[in-house]
Amino acid sequence: MRVLVVEDEARLAENIARSLRESAGYAVDVASDGQEGLFMAESNPYDVVLLDLMLPKLDGMELLGRIRQSGQHTPVLVLTARDDKESVIALLNAGADDYLTKPFDLGELLARTKALIRRGKGQPSPVVTIGDLELNTVNRTVQRGGRAITLTAMEYRVLEYLAHRPRAVVSKTELLEHLYDYNWEKFSNVIEVYISGLRRKLNEGSSRQLIRTLRGQGYMLQD
Amino acid sequence: MQRDSIQRRLIASVLLSQLILTAGLMVIGVVVTYWRLLSTLDVAMQAHATSVAVLVRYTEDASGHVYFDNSLLPESIDPNHPDQFMVWADRTGYLTRSEDWPEGLQFQPGPNQHWNFTWAGVPYHALRMTHVPVLDREVGASFRPQTLTVVYASPTLRIRQQVKAALVSIAVASLLLLGATTWLASWKIRRGLLPLQILARQASLVSTQSWKLQPPKEAEDIEELRPLTESMTQMLARLEYSFKQQREFVGNAAHELKTPVAVLKSTLQSLLQRPRSSEEYRAGLQASLQDLDRLEQLLQWMLRLARAEQWAQNSQRRELDIIDINSTCEEVVERIRSIAQSRNTTIHLATNGPVPFRADPEDLQLVWTNLLENAVRYSPQGSSVEVAVARAGDKARITFQDHGAGISAGDLPRIFDRFYRGDPSRTRATGGFGLGLAIVKALVEAYGGTIAADSTPGKGTRMTVELPMPQP
Repeated sequence: MRVLVVEDEARLAENIARSLRESAGYAVDVASDGQEGLFMAESNPYDVVLLDLMLPKLDGMELLGRIRQSGQHTPVLVLTARDDKESVIALLNAGADDYLTKPFDLGELLARTKALIRRGKGQPSPVVTIGDLELNTVNRTVQRGGRAITLTAMEYRVLEYLAHRPRAVVSKTELLEHLYDYNWEKFSNVIEVYISGLRRKLNEGSSRQLIRTLRGQGYMLQD
Repeated sequence: MQRDSIQRRLIASVLLSQLILTAGLMVIGVVVTYWRLLSTLDVAMQAHATSVAVLVRYTEDASGHVYFDNSLLPESIDPNHPDQFMVWADRTGYLTRSEDWPEGLQFQPGPNQHWNFTWAGVPYHALRMTHVPVLDREVGASFRPQTLTVVYASPTLRIRQQVKAALVSIAVASLLLLGATTWLASWKIRRGLLPLQILARQASLVSTQSWKLQPPKEAEDIEELRPLTESMTQMLARLEYSFKQQREFVGNAAHELKTPVAVLKSTLQSLLQRPRSSEEYRAGLQASLQDLDRLEQLLQWMLRLARAEQWAQNSQRRELDIIDINSTCEEVVERIRSIAQSRNTTIHLATNGPVPFRADPEDLQLVWTNLLENAVRYSPQGSSVEVAVARAGDKARITFQDHGAGISAGDLPRIFDRFYRGDPSRTRATGGFGLGLAIVKALVEAYGGTIAADSTPGKGTRMTVELPMPQP
């Protein structure tokens, strides 16, 4: 999953990014002003955007409006210092999906971000089930037929993304775009490595192939 | 302790004045009645005395001797209390007196006179008439007419009773009137004080939610209450203003504190999210310390602003000496010159004679420092900042002119607002909290001065402070 953090307080942005990377294994891009944020949101497919309201150059509210005008469905979590009813109503009406008031708890931020990603992908439950495969997005564990499977961080991230789009063809570019931050292109040939690793671990003691390769198109997770 | 009451006081004073009036009326009534009755009696007594004198006749022998013919004595004025009289002939002496003349009572002939006396417990009014001619006349060569002296006394018991009766009736009437007027007065007073109660009721409705005092029409129409309602309305307006300002300040402050607290909290939380190396902990703690420093600075600025605003509002004058504005400016310019030089900016200070002003030099220095730092901060490399101190009539005018990017017309009216940052990226990078100009404005206003900003985008900004000079 790939997250955009638009926050002008450098230290806060850094802390959020670090937390998302370490605890959720997400790829995180940081924009330090509204214009940069708008540019990045328009040029990259993010799974969720964390947006501060008070931003230099382009106000957070304005940025939110522009993102929604361009027809993007990316869930937006707004970080605001104001918790009065009027401003909360205003920002939800402007197209925000959720909000957190400063100072917030990083754990809560993480949980809300995950929830927004799930909802954005039409996946209401934190435990994703495809056939006998069970993926718990909260504590990041994977089971197949009751057997726990140990994955590397990158393998888990690939599987998590695929699991959020079951039975859909996911291209290698899409995977790269969602698993890496803005310099993803240099990782283009590592996806095959993770896919083969995943296949090997998932198929241990099972004959049915869960990840299908559609040549020239991409990958598909199905039961 | 007995609580004082305007109503009681007013009723008491009405009652007191009524009592004095009543007493006065009674005295006047008694005196007038007595005097009138007495003068009536006097007239009657003169008539009676004359009637007595008429009964004196000359003897037939034309010797001029007289005798008293008591066959036609006049009735007493008061039928219950007989009058007394005594007659002297001026040549032959004592002639006669009334039949029941009290034994031992003596009068001497003398001049005309009215007097009062009491004999045997009976009060009398007496008059003496001299040279009363004897009406009867005899004819003869040797006839020598005589005149008479008549003393006539009449008991004044009836007058006393009449006066007493008059006194009683005046007293009864007065007391009745007193009661009625007291009741009327207290009713009117209570009604008159009613607007005060209505006003109090209205005033009790004032709260921090609703500051509007609706002075009741009854109270507004009353001349004495108008200063009260006016000062209450003004007081409430002042209170509301300062309350709103406080609330706004608290709101702003809370809002501004949230971001640094969020930064600090997130730093510590992310540090705790997983076990870390000691270098990571150290870096995290150092970052937290920096965040705390910033937080502390923000708090200091906010307190400074709160204090300045309080001064401005209370216009509390501390004991201050007269200082020279020039010297405060010079000190600030010297202090900032090195920062300016590092940015290749020159500062020109133009002064024109001493400008005395009663102030705490530190306050003025804080104002100049903020304004000059801003001017230098927004000046392009190699430009200059001009500071000028001058007297303009009864004011001291201090201007700071820079040649920077200027302030947009949209931002210009708001630059003195608390926490207002025209361009957040610019001020945040320079560590501003958006409080400097708010503090400047509050301090200038605390000294009764004004501050104004003129700016031409692209050409620069001029800040003008005007302070009222002390009257010589």
